[in-house]
Amino acid sequence: MSELSRRDFLKLTRNGFLYLSGALALGGLLRFLDYEPNPAPKTEFDLGPASNYPLNSRTVLSEPPAVLLHTGSGFSALSLVCTHLGCTLENSTQGFACPCHGSRFDADGNVTHGPADVPQQSLRVEVTEEGNLKLFTA
Amino acid sequence: MKKTLTIAAGILLLTLAFVWWLELGPSQPVELIPTLTGQPEYCLTCHADVPEIGPSHPTETFGCVTCHGGERLALDADLAHSTMRGGANPSDLSVVEQSCGGTSCHSGSEVDDRHHVQRVMTSMQSTYAGAIASIRFTFGAQTGLTPHSGVNAVTDDRTQTGITSLSAFDPLSETNPSIQKFGENCLTCHINATPREGEDYARQTGCAACHSTQQHTFTTAIPYTQCNACHNRGNYDLRTMTFIERTDHPTQRIDNYYQPIAQFTQCEYTLDCVDCHTREEVMGDGDLHASKKDIQYVQCKTCHGTLTELPKTKTLTDPSDIAFTLAFLNPVVDLELGDTILVTEKGEPLWNTRVLSDGTYELIGKANSQYFTFKPVMGSGCTQSGEDQSSAYCHQCHQAEH
Repeated sequence: MSELSRRDFLKLTRNGFLYLSGALALGGLLRFLDYEPNPAPKTEFDLGPASNYPLNSRTVLSEPPAVLLHTGSGFSALSLVCTHLGCTLENSTQGFACPCHGSRFDADGNVTHGPADVPQQSLRVEVTEEGNLKLFTA
Repeated sequence: MKKTLTIAAGILLLTLAFVWWLELGPSQPVELIPTLTGQPEYCLTCHADVPEIGPSHPTETFGCVTCHGGERLALDADLAHSTMRGGANPSDLSVVEQSCGGTSCHSGSEVDDRHHVQRVMTSMQSTYAGAIASIRFTFGAQTGLTPHSGVNAVTDDRTQTGITSLSAFDPLSETNPSIQKFGENCLTCHINATPREGEDYARQTGCAACHSTQQHTFTTAIPYTQCNACHNRGNYDLRTMTFIERTDHPTQRIDNYYQPIAQFTQCEYTLDCVDCHTREEVMGDGDLHASKKDIQYVQCKTCHGTLTELPKTKTLTDPSDIAFTLAFLNPVVDLELGDTILVTEKGEPLWNTRVLSDGTYELIGKANSQYFTFKPVMGSGCTQSGEDQSSAYCHQCHQAEH
């Protein structure tokens, strides 16, 4: 077996470096192409069949934080995001209460006690042709 | 030539390997979109283990950047932290307006008395104006005790005390060496001063000095130990104008005060400071004052009354009464409409007290939720005159033995 000449050793080393560099560059490219940005926050929510929400019911939803109302005039919804600083409101005996800063709202979403000074946001609710409810937060 | 090419190929490989190593961090940042801002933040990628600061500031609502500043999308620690406010303490008074202020938060609104930032900036805890004036007067730098300077410059456009502004106290502009030493050695404890170096002192300014009882915690249930962090560290040597750190290690609370000769009644070494001292006394009333004596007014008689007068009380009839807000923020007591509580001489609610049906009173500890009952002086065997009600007089009979 013949000894590796200096010239061949340099060639072998150089080629090794170049192949490894190519592999790293390709790997980096694949990693970059594989990157998935976070999806935009949802603004449309499927709430399932409208028949799940009987007349005169008030249903607290967790995703999105909202309360779905079914009255004689149809479906409507109130956001449970406090209009003061955005904490999630909780049910209370008189309506809704903010666990962070103590704002209180009546059952219709009107402010009864600050620091919030804006009523709860009304959210759009639609009944699809299939009879499902869709809630829109924007 | 071949040798040069091989070296170049080696450098290329090393460079690419270095870039890979740099990029080996979290491949997918942890995103949080706080409800308040709606803007993504990647802080939790590295700081997921930081506990929530308290129920009034939930992370999912506030995120991190609202209070701390910083580059919300940066994944490099140095870049992410490069624009943080106040370092470990965004409530430092040099940045508190940006971190904690705003009409929906803690400044600019007098609704529910929420202009906390303005009140604190003019408070004695922040200005130290009385002591500065006293030292300057003592050493001949000013002719009276009216304060002209504070730890930092501050103005009071709606003064009720006649003091409209204070300039920043500058020890270097003083000619008397004792005043200079006072400036160098005796101002680091105040909440508007530059804190001493070190992690232990990082949160001893601004709101955190009182409200942050543990790392990344904010509370109104402030134990006496938090007050002692400043008010129990030692004493001034007025001869050398140096602060002498205490070296003893008291084992009983009654000994755990920095004035060895001080006298205490049972209240003073059993309750927490905030059980009696009010928010106006501690955080200021919005006015610049000349002395601590002008703002600290709660005395024994505030809760106990005198021989001829019962303490002031108030029956809560307005759901918007600030007593409910204070009780909401520190729910040690379930305050309800119709409850009768004690109020101070200035009308501040002592919302953690109740008047009981038998004419005695109940106090619930704000920091430890303990119940204490106490009686009015009226009808007791006390012979103290109604005029002499400072604590020194009460201590004459009621001091506890050390």
